[in-house]
Amino acid sequence: MNILALETATPACALGLRTDDGFEVGWVVDDDRHHTEVLTASLARLLKEAGLRVRDLDRVVVDRGPGLFTGLRVGLATALGLSEATGCALVGVTSLELLARGAHAGGVRGTLVSVVDARRSEVFTQRFRLDDEVTALGEAEVATPRAVAIEWATNGAAVTFTGDGAARYRGDLSVVPNAVIEEQMVPSVAAALELGARREPIARVEALYLREADAVANFTTRQRS
Amino acid sequence: MSLALAIETSCDDTAAAVVDSSWHVHSSVIESSIDQHRAFGGVVPELAGRAHLTTIAPVVRAALEGAGLDPHAPAIDVVAVTSGPGLIGSLLIGLSAAKAYSLAWELPFVGVNHLEGHLFAPLLERPELEWPLLTLLVSGGHSLIVLQLAPGEHVVLGETIDDAAGEAYDKVARWLGLSYPGGPEIDRLAVSGAADALNLPVSMTGDDFDLSFSGLKTAVVRATQKHPEVALADVAASFQAAVAEQLLRKLRRALETHPEVRGLALAGGVAANSALRRGVGEIAADAGVGAYLPSLAMCTDNAAMIAAAGLHRFAVSGPSDLGLSARPNWSLTEVS
Ligand SMILES: [Zn+2]
Repeated sequence: MNILALETATPACALGLRTDDGFEVGWVVDDDRHHTEVLTASLARLLKEAGLRVRDLDRVVVDRGPGLFTGLRVGLATALGLSEATGCALVGVTSLELLARGAHAGGVRGTLVSVVDARRSEVFTQRFRLDDEVTALGEAEVATPRAVAIEWATNGAAVTFTGDGAARYRGDLSVVPNAVIEEQMVPSVAAALELGARREPIARVEALYLREADAVANFTTRQRS
Repeated sequence: MSLALAIETSCDDTAAAVVDSSWHVHSSVIESSIDQHRAFGGVVPELAGRAHLTTIAPVVRAALEGAGLDPHAPAIDVVAVTSGPGLIGSLLIGLSAAKAYSLAWELPFVGVNHLEGHLFAPLLERPELEWPLLTLLVSGGHSLIVLQLAPGEHVVLGETIDDAAGEAYDKVARWLGLSYPGGPEIDRLAVSGAADALNLPVSMTGDDFDLSFSGLKTAVVRATQKHPEVALADVAASFQAAVAEQLLRKLRRALETHPEVRGLALAGGVAANSALRRGVGEIAADAGVGAYLPSLAMCTDNAAMIAAAGLHRFAVSGPSDLGLSARPNWSLTEVS
């Protein structure tokens, strides 16, 4: 199975490809929100390198969030375009599970909290247990870094934080006595390819925003044209 | 003959169309998210972005199927897409999808200026119209007077220095407690009102072709505060007359300055306005030149006009690079 992975949930833009011939790569092509400019252009280069055409792809796996809204929409619109144009299957994964699986592949075990920067002094988080498997222990949610820190400081358990939110709010999270921060800025493309191979495709892939649009809108409007 | 698929997502309408280089429209599909924005009195960018992502794939598919094309291998020559101006969060959905379609089908893609798209509307609906055209491009986001020498060759003679005409309509409508969007509401009320009920100033009476609507909006607020007894229909009629008077005065002057002009054209959402349509028709008849008053479907944003402009741009300048950015403030004067 030829699988393409698109990762645009954070300021970074990454993509990965795993082919029937045993070719597997993950590329981080930008780290500063140039998703619109670099994603498709990099994909064209990646396919060329692998000697594939878009129509040779069996599946496109895409990170549907939570994360940067504009980045997510670039990734999802691209994934939709590719799959609509060729009829290939779509698989959705979340940024938080990719971070957990990336840490797991790096040898982390025990309780882990994926932390994605949500801007506006908030983070998207989800708790996982990492042993032989990676198991989600709760739902993805929005929180303040301080609330996350207070929760783990008071329950006293050992925990690993990972993700760009953990890096950004390292100061807040460092008050947790039993915490380790696992450096990982970009949700794992290797994990996306792995999940893409075994997860059931879905008919519609929708963004996981975790915030209402009108809360985001703040009543700023623009005129119709 | 070449065939283009175009995608338009610059504001709240998700649109796709298939058009050929003889300007024949094979299909044109529009899905609007306007109902979601009504309660906010204007387009909410985040809502528009979310709606585009939900509707883009079905809209493109409907345009392809409507044109009798295979959605997995359409016999087209280029994928055109609006790459500016507009809401950044909306633009990048159409742009990203267009790049993906073009890469997957191994076809060139071309980024199109939305305003230039509006300028191609006469070719789609009135191909027999003689050029050069003098065009009033008036919408919620833009107000310009453009001299169109030939398709794709245009000179911006003047533009608004503050609010767009449609923006003034929406702001006055909000002040009067009318529902959004304000243009059609004011137009409807104005029919039964007296245009001389309020003494409103006509802005920008100088010799240039620039426009201004912000002072007029303020004048409406002051006049209605001072004369609360004036009926809503009379306020609407007075405001509408003042907007039309400014635009038509500039159009008349531009026509005098450019006697080579063979036709007048209206474009953009405010082109649906009855006072403006009547006025442009009268000026054209007096001057003995043609007039293009777009159908309602062509006043609003659509992808057929983007396809037409895209076919022209592709023929003249070739394809765009896959690294193309969205340009939310892309001015028509920078199009080449
Ligand atoms: Zn428009």
